[in-house]
Amino acid sequence: MSNNVIGRAPAFSLAPSRARRRRRLFPYLLIAPSVVLLVAVTIFPLFFALKSSFYFWNLQMGPKPLGFIGFGNYRMALTSAVFMASVVNTLVLTVSGTVLEVFFGLMIALLLCHALPGMSVARALLIMPTTIAPIVVGFLFRYMYDPTGGLIPWLLAKAGVPIPRTGLLGSGLTALPSILFADMWQWTPFCAIVLYAALLSVPPHVIEAARLDGASAWTILRRIRLPLIRKTLSFVVMLRFMQLFNTFDLVLVLTRGGPGSSTRTLGYTLYQQGLVDFNIGLASAMTWIIVIMVNALIGLYVVFVFRDWE
Amino acid sequence: MERARPRISRRSVLKSAGAVAGASVLPTRRLFAAGKKSIRVLTVADPFYYALAGVTDQFRQETGIDVAIESLAYDQLNARLVSSFVGGQPDADVISVDNIWLGQYLESKWIKPLNDLVKADKDVDIADFIPGVLYSISLWRGQLGSLPIAPYGMGVMYRKDYIDAAGVKIPDDGSWTWTEYLDTIKKLNGQKFGGASMIGTVVSGQQPAPIVHMFTQLAASMGARWFKHFPEAPWDFTPTIDSKENVDAIRLFAELYKASPPEAINYNWFDAGMRFAKGDIGAFYWWSAYFYLCRKDGYMSGKDSVVADKMGIVPIPHSDHPQVGSTGGWSLGIPSNSAATDEAWIFVKWATSAKAQKAMALYTKYGYQFSDFARRSLYKDPDLLKIYPYLPGQLVGLEAGNGKISRPGVPTYTTLESIYGLNLNKVLTGEMSPEDCAKQTAQLWTSVLKGNFMIPYQLKSYDDTLEAAKALIASLSA
Repeated sequence: MSNNVIGRAPAFSLAPSRARRRRRLFPYLLIAPSVVLLVAVTIFPLFFALKSSFYFWNLQMGPKPLGFIGFGNYRMALTSAVFMASVVNTLVLTVSGTVLEVFFGLMIALLLCHALPGMSVARALLIMPTTIAPIVVGFLFRYMYDPTGGLIPWLLAKAGVPIPRTGLLGSGLTALPSILFADMWQWTPFCAIVLYAALLSVPPHVIEAARLDGASAWTILRRIRLPLIRKTLSFVVMLRFMQLFNTFDLVLVLTRGGPGSSTRTLGYTLYQQGLVDFNIGLASAMTWIIVIMVNALIGLYVVFVFRDWE
Repeated sequence: MERARPRISRRSVLKSAGAVAGASVLPTRRLFAAGKKSIRVLTVADPFYYALAGVTDQFRQETGIDVAIESLAYDQLNARLVSSFVGGQPDADVISVDNIWLGQYLESKWIKPLNDLVKADKDVDIADFIPGVLYSISLWRGQLGSLPIAPYGMGVMYRKDYIDAAGVKIPDDGSWTWTEYLDTIKKLNGQKFGGASMIGTVVSGQQPAPIVHMFTQLAASMGARWFKHFPEAPWDFTPTIDSKENVDAIRLFAELYKASPPEAINYNWFDAGMRFAKGDIGAFYWWSAYFYLCRKDGYMSGKDSVVADKMGIVPIPHSDHPQVGSTGGWSLGIPSNSAATDEAWIFVKWATSAKAQKAMALYTKYGYQFSDFARRSLYKDPDLLKIYPYLPGQLVGLEAGNGKISRPGVPTYTTLESIYGLNLNKVLTGEMSPEDCAKQTAQLWTSVLKGNFMIPYQLKSYDDTLEAAKALIASLSA
């Protein structure tokens, strides 16, 4: 068989190079569907939004764009008090949420590493909040925050914690933390499970050796466990940051951005502009501002955190 | 003898799944083969939807047309409809249209004008509809874009036993002013009744739509207007929202909030209604759908609330200005991209007929949860009056209603409502004074309206008056 092939080769001098080319193109052919899909569902909408952001296009005024207005939509977004309030609220929610969820997630993960009674049940229960749709979590917490009989105000009252007259969701001071708490309830277990899996990958003999050398639990955590799970931790931080930056469902169900603008997030403001006010041009400009902000922040994070990764 | 255990292989599972899928497709194919007509109806999940879905079998039996009804929440419905229209993808054959969407849908040619269909079809009996209702929720620039299925007016609901115990008089005929209403609310606030501390009233404070819906009734009744000249021609959309009348109305609304549960700052339509149904509220004004919703302890729960047999209902108060009631609500329209417009029209005609509306009102699954009639004849129906004794008062509200003054459904309405709702909410939180609210709202509205080419108005105006609407209705019924 191989002799035949070798024997035919001189008669078809182009065949090897064609075969080589085919071999070279084959991987591209395999990834082509993924690239086409990526272009269709990500790149095209983003560029469509980029184009729309330079047009006056309000569906309340007509189904088609009414004219090119340059950076008018960007100017309008950046000078809007509501949009800027949304930026501040989103950053507060995102930074505090990421820190708290990852911190408590790590604490729970460390606890899970201990062979305490009921841990297998706890591990199974932990995954449950993550599987619930955020909109359902919103409704659940709307009832739990109800000042006329909700569980949380009742518990706080029993513990002697003062509650605003307007309820936890009705006060500008407590509404955003209340949304954050609902998000923490849902996503801290996710951080815990992922970090628990990472902690399990730490070789037990390293821990054992450190213990024999007299290292305290705190030193083991700081010097061994955390450095060894650093990569997973970095991904969890990045993932939660990006998800919290897009918080929308909880705001929609719990407060609709109120009272005042105290809980308006960028996700909610974008929804309001695009799907309630139907100002497609302005909503597209806001989309791009958000894309730039998230990518700049995540880019900085990647540069500093991932720089010495192989 | 040991029996061989059946083996479940991946192939056998796939085969079974294929067989089930094939079998499930068969009846559908048979339906299409027989040429059976069917339509899709997309509505908001307001009470009328449950009643309509409950009686749709009658339509199937009478016409042989199959109906699939789907309901969505308010915002989701508009978003889905607009996506369908802009994308040119047909989604439904009949849709429910909010009065404030009508102008946008008609001007964009997303729904079919019904003038010719109504004129050619005497079964519609257009003259039976309350003119103010057709004018407020179905007409835009002389085009009939839809037929009303559930119009809402406003009225005051109060807890009779508490009012009697408190020694307060509430006039049955609505002959009281908003100042007297506020005084009454203040008197009712903080008194003990049945061992509980009672609250004067409840407002709907959530932004943007709920607070705007509640406040604009008060504002329109106190003489406030949104624009310099609308709906009469020539149209001038310069905002007049910073008028003295409106500032007075905002001040009064803030006073009402002080005699309301503090958490009402976050109450939507239903929260406010259900708070009254809990029994610790003296009186409040709200959409007429709550005349029956408050009789139950939850949405379509079917269980009576504590105030079910203790509710009094009277017309809204007035001011020195001519009374203007707020009329809003839902109508049925036919999308231009529907492929079954004939069947859709048959459904619209049937669902808005007196016969179907009465059947909806008598539907008992949730305990009589529909009395939003657009037809005058139903307000005199003895069967309905027995179940819904407040109908005569409700009719007074709808006859005096003018949705184009209280909440003008002009292009950019939702943007204006977003600004207004946020600022009104800020007044309740104490972040903004009534004067600043009115002033800032007017400034932002001016900016939006100028940006959308509505100041100065560049298109031809239409003399959109009730008289013009009555003349149009007469021409359609001739």
